[in-house]
Amino acid sequence: MLTLNRCMQALALCAAFAALPAAAETPQDILDGFTVEAKTEAPDFQGFDAERGKLFFNSTHGNDWSCATCHTSNPAASGKHAKTDKVIDPLAPAVNAERFTDLKKVNKWFKRNCGDVLDRECTSLEKGDVLTYLMAIQ
Amino acid sequence: MLQRILVWDVPTRVFHWTLALSFAGAYLTSEGERYRDIHLALGYLMLGMIAFRLVWGFVGTAYARFGAFLFKPAAVVGYVRSLLSPSPQHYVGHNPAGGVAIFLLLTLGLLIGLSGLGLYWEFGDEDLFEELHEITANLMLGVVVVHIAGVLISSVLHRENLVRAMFTGYKQAANAVSITRSYVWLGMVMALLSAVFLIVYLSGS
Ligand code: HEC
Ligand code: HEM
Repeated sequence: MLTLNRCMQALALCAAFAALPAAAETPQDILDGFTVEAKTEAPDFQGFDAERGKLFFNSTHGNDWSCATCHTSNPAASGKHAKTDKVIDPLAPAVNAERFTDLKKVNKWFKRNCGDVLDRECTSLEKGDVLTYLMAIQ
Repeated sequence: MLQRILVWDVPTRVFHWTLALSFAGAYLTSEGERYRDIHLALGYLMLGMIAFRLVWGFVGTAYARFGAFLFKPAAVVGYVRSLLSPSPQHYVGHNPAGGVAIFLLLTLGLLIGLSGLGLYWEFGDEDLFEELHEITANLMLGVVVVHIAGVLISSVLHRENLVRAMFTGYKQAANAVSITRSYVWLGMVMALLSAVFLIVYLSGS
């Protein structure tokens, strides 16, 4: 009987996990996460800044690409991939409700795209600035 | 009496080296967006080659047919064991362990290609295909390493240059039949189509 109970518990646990939605976050949750990280990375952290994020987004950083090369300088509009011409849906959460709702996806693309543009990973300050900028767009 | 016999037809050899190069190239261009177009082109090429090989496995020349290297598990174990013994078993076509590697490589290559298509053309479950694409690519890299090690070990043990055979098609063997046709024209068509495809695809963007 005891083992049967165990089995049932294990099953229930699995079912609970399977039922969890894959995209559980909101853009604000993700921004809060960056805030926590930025504070540990820089003790003098003063908060994120949309203007700084906008500048970062539109600037090249030592090589030919900026974020705007693929996402355009208007994050409310669709972008176009610099290598394949494939359409990229808008990044601003106000016009594309799927954006910044899946932490895994956000981390994956920041890592990839920062590598493409800066040849390094972005700091939490840079990511928070960019997200603040994108969230401010209506 | 050892004789020089033709074992691998030209399409099989073109397939082999195109697959090897496209897999290596696609693996090396997978990191960022910088070489995304090359990554896609090589992925399509690899899928095309595998599609060809699946057909060739049924209608190709004797040693290239699936039936020629589909061995029972006991034969695979027996072959690997014999490598450790003083008299390793010898096969003219694929040995049983090599046969397993081919089926694994074809299956993994197909899974990588299909999940990659799904990711780019947006069919199937994105999260699932992402995991699948990455995991199968790494598994394939592992199988390739084992495959290359196996080729080198077998070459030494049998004093036979298997790598050269995959270029020339010829091996030295006693009591074995040569394939009668090498299908040069088909191999040329494959190589030409591959080159044209790469050039057109990569100059388009
Ligand atoms: C070479 C083209 C390219 C460049 C340059 C680029 N991106 Fe992207 N980005 C993409 C693609 C492709 C995707 C994934 C497709 C999609 O989700 O629509 C993506 C997705 C993202 C996402 C995912 C958001 C989400 O939750 O869905 C973020 C964040 C992002 N990019 C930020 C950036 C930042 C920041 C930069 C500059 C450092 C940048 N990108 C530069 C092509 C690019
Ligand atoms: C670059 C180093 C490589 C070498 C030296 C090599 C060598 C060989 C040799 C000698 C054979 C014939 C085995 C035999 O005689 O039984 C073979 C078969 C094969 N190899 Fe490789 N290989 C290499 C890389 C690869 C890679 C990267 C792949 C896959 C991505 C691959 C896939 C295959 C397949 C599928 C076969 C079966 C060929 C057929 O019959 O169609 N090889 N290889």
